[in-house]
Amino acid sequence: MSKIEMTVNGKTVAGEAEDRTLLVNFLRDNLGLTGTHVGCDTSQCGCCTIHLNGDAIKSCTMLAIQAEGADIVTIEGMAKGEKLHPVQQAFTECHGLQCGFCTPGMIMTSAAILKQTPNPTEHDIVKGLHGNLCRCTGYVNIVKSVKRAAEIINSGA
Amino acid sequence: MQPSRREDLRLIQGTGHYTADWNQPGQLYGYVLRSPEAHADIVSLNVEPARAFPGVVKVMTFADVEAAGFKSLVGGVAPNVKGVGDSAMKKPFYPVLADKKVQYVGQAVAYVIAETAAIAQDASEAIEIEYSQLPPTVTVEDSLADGAPQLHADIPGNVGFVYERGDAAAVDEQFKRAKYTSKIHLESQRLIVNPMEPRACLAVYHADEDRYTLYSSSQGIVNMRNQVSTVTGIPQAKLEIIADDVGGSFGIRSTPYPEYMVSLLAAKQLGKPIKWVGTRTDSFLSDYHGRALELNGEIAIDENGRFLAFRWDDRVDLGGYAGGNGAFIGTNNLTITCGGVYDVAALYARTRLIYTNTTPISAYRGAGRPDIAFAIERLVDQACHDHGLDPVETRRKNFVKAAQMPYKTPLGTTYDCGDFAAVMDDALAQADWAGFAGRKAASEKAGKLRGIGFATFLEASGGGNTPSDQTAARFDAKGDVTIYCAAGASGQGHETTFISLFAKELGITEDGIGYRASDSNMAVVGNGTGGSRTLLGQGSSFKLLAQKVIEKATPHAAEALGVTADAVSYAGGSFSAGGKSVGLRELAKKLASAAAAHPFDCGAEGTFGVTFPNGCHVAEVEFDPVTGVAEIASYAAVDDLGNVMQPTLVLGQVHGGVVQGAGQVFGEHAVYDRESGQFLTASFMDYTMPRAATVPLAMKWRGHAVPTKTNLLGAKGVGESGCSGSLPALMNAVMNALRPMGIDNMQMPITAAKVWQALQASEGGAAVRKAA
Repeated sequence: MSKIEMTVNGKTVAGEAEDRTLLVNFLRDNLGLTGTHVGCDTSQCGCCTIHLNGDAIKSCTMLAIQAEGADIVTIEGMAKGEKLHPVQQAFTECHGLQCGFCTPGMIMTSAAILKQTPNPTEHDIVKGLHGNLCRCTGYVNIVKSVKRAAEIINSGA
Repeated sequence: MQPSRREDLRLIQGTGHYTADWNQPGQLYGYVLRSPEAHADIVSLNVEPARAFPGVVKVMTFADVEAAGFKSLVGGVAPNVKGVGDSAMKKPFYPVLADKKVQYVGQAVAYVIAETAAIAQDASEAIEIEYSQLPPTVTVEDSLADGAPQLHADIPGNVGFVYERGDAAAVDEQFKRAKYTSKIHLESQRLIVNPMEPRACLAVYHADEDRYTLYSSSQGIVNMRNQVSTVTGIPQAKLEIIADDVGGSFGIRSTPYPEYMVSLLAAKQLGKPIKWVGTRTDSFLSDYHGRALELNGEIAIDENGRFLAFRWDDRVDLGGYAGGNGAFIGTNNLTITCGGVYDVAALYARTRLIYTNTTPISAYRGAGRPDIAFAIERLVDQACHDHGLDPVETRRKNFVKAAQMPYKTPLGTTYDCGDFAAVMDDALAQADWAGFAGRKAASEKAGKLRGIGFATFLEASGGGNTPSDQTAARFDAKGDVTIYCAAGASGQGHETTFISLFAKELGITEDGIGYRASDSNMAVVGNGTGGSRTLLGQGSSFKLLAQKVIEKATPHAAEALGVTADAVSYAGGSFSAGGKSVGLRELAKKLASAAAAHPFDCGAEGTFGVTFPNGCHVAEVEFDPVTGVAEIASYAAVDDLGNVMQPTLVLGQVHGGVVQGAGQVFGEHAVYDRESGQFLTASFMDYTMPRAATVPLAMKWRGHAVPTKTNLLGAKGVGESGCSGSLPALMNAVMNALRPMGIDNMQMPITAAKVWQALQASEGGAAVRKAA
């Protein structure tokens, strides 16, 4: 067991975990942040996507101890109080979710796409979402949500 | 900012409650050891090394579930359904944990319980099992062959059931007088259902009350509780099942799985909660699989292009056992609409249900309905091609006409309403069918092969297996109300839809209305979510419930207004009489007390029959002949879903259904190795899921409602129509593009490799490659 310390959603947190513990399990089991989901075991589905030091990463593909000292944002840290993050707002406005299980990962990935590409083409969006699977929406409204989020962000709302 | 749904605020902020998100103090963790063999005798099984593993609390095998008196997992046709010669279905005992023999890779063999999930998994590797391999059969063809391996000693030939429906002799007569006939062989390949939330459970035993709580995703509580009770012997009244948010279902969560039963047993024996969280590998191996149907159809047509009869001879892969709803799909669902939207003189279908050394089959979006819709429309298209008949006018000539409704098919199924010609014309106009030649020419110029296809289809929704759909309303001490039903949502937005419907019926705002699905403490029964039926069944029952609330409240309103009940009228959320009025909410609040049940509390129930959502989907597909890569160039659909309550949510269902169909057409395929019986596609790295880049994002859709009178809302259901339309429309487009190359039939999935190989072998392909 190792003691691991990191910043999660702006707060310094610490916990004990086995060296083999995946970051996603540390977030869920040690910190109780169950908004980050586990949808596969081969780094394919993207349900566990979080931001680590500003980049979108799959938290099932990293050990918790590798994140020692990192600055992490999970889905629970996206809204500022009552105010939703523009990507969250766009997903609900555009009906970009049905069962919601892939949604936290989709939102985290989408936010990263928009950070890198503030005015994405459809091609940029679908390329950016390639590592995130959804079984409900057929992606149609997810892509719409990302376009809408870009509008909201670019309008400064 | 307007959220689309009530569900959304928690789900976009990560505060939903999926099954793996639940925890209980002192919980232990389970891990399932699965069979690595497709077909083998268990010669010896020694779990002692795992028991001795530090942190392991218990290891369970068949001996434990046998000692507990567990029965077979539930499956197969209903007992009153008889096969050819009045035969009963042959169903093997399907043990919760394998007994002496394994029948498929992934079958649950042992259950290890430990202090952590990691310890349980580590310890499972210490279990010593000696398997004696038997030759496997993983296809219906191999199971039916002479000398095929026998799965179950009491089921010679591996044939579980031979079912027939319709009049074989009448169909033969029609084929004798036919001018034209065509036939087709189609495979609706085995798929993995893959909802994004893997299965999980948390079982709790409350010793003081001898009662259980099972946290587990489900599509509705009635089937789940009933089947868990049947297998484990736990009385239904002692079993509470909790499912809050469910991460997709698509058919596989309507019945329980072995992990839930063994966890309940262990929770009681150990006096501690047991949590099991499946991995995606568990999903691939042990969730019921979908489809796995082979359809062989023939059509008889007269000299005027009138369809006379359809004849079907279908083969249904059950997997290693009869589990879930596989047998129901292979009998009722494949045959109930086997004449589609066409007015024919005779119909006959035979289906054979076969055991193979594979994971058992159950429902996947549409559960046989998309498969038969696909087969009919592929056959009709093939016949039009074979005999030079116009696909649009031939369909029009043969539709059941709106004036013929209600229309009784030769099988006795009654189509209540529909206007298939109007729907088709609407769809062809939306898709600019007439302008295809220009688009094809443009594609050719760019070196691409373009095809167009369409399908006019219907499906049966609404049956359900619970006699009625009940709902209930309970008012609390503040006068707020919670409404209940037994169906469970998994993304459909029931909470949004039913609260909105109930509020509208009462003429009140939605504030102070809560919704609970599948609450075990409410004695509300009803069908689970499935068969595209929840709105028309439960929704109709909620409409009745609103009326009951008004009835219950009326005498109290009369008293408040100082008049007799017959003098009171209700509108817009208020009771009024003689110029005075009192609001329903105001009255509910006034009469509320913490001490007694609220006088407005009530229940409603109704039975709502089968109805037939139908539509016409039009697709265009473009192939690159150099690589074989396909692109869906356009997709435009019109559906008659009856009345639509929530247009945004309905369109979301259409998108999802169409893309699941596209997934089956272009990539998804669960593959077993024919020699070893090993499962070759057990991860997302081996199984092609649709991704954002591969779907028709510019999909067009509109509704064309012909409301039904079979339920109180005039709704026909939407859940499954997307798949039923997209499979045949896309495949007809594929064949339209490939036929000129000399390719006359191709089975799904239409992968680039398969197309490339077929083009390599065809003269047309060689010519077009040269040109490109």
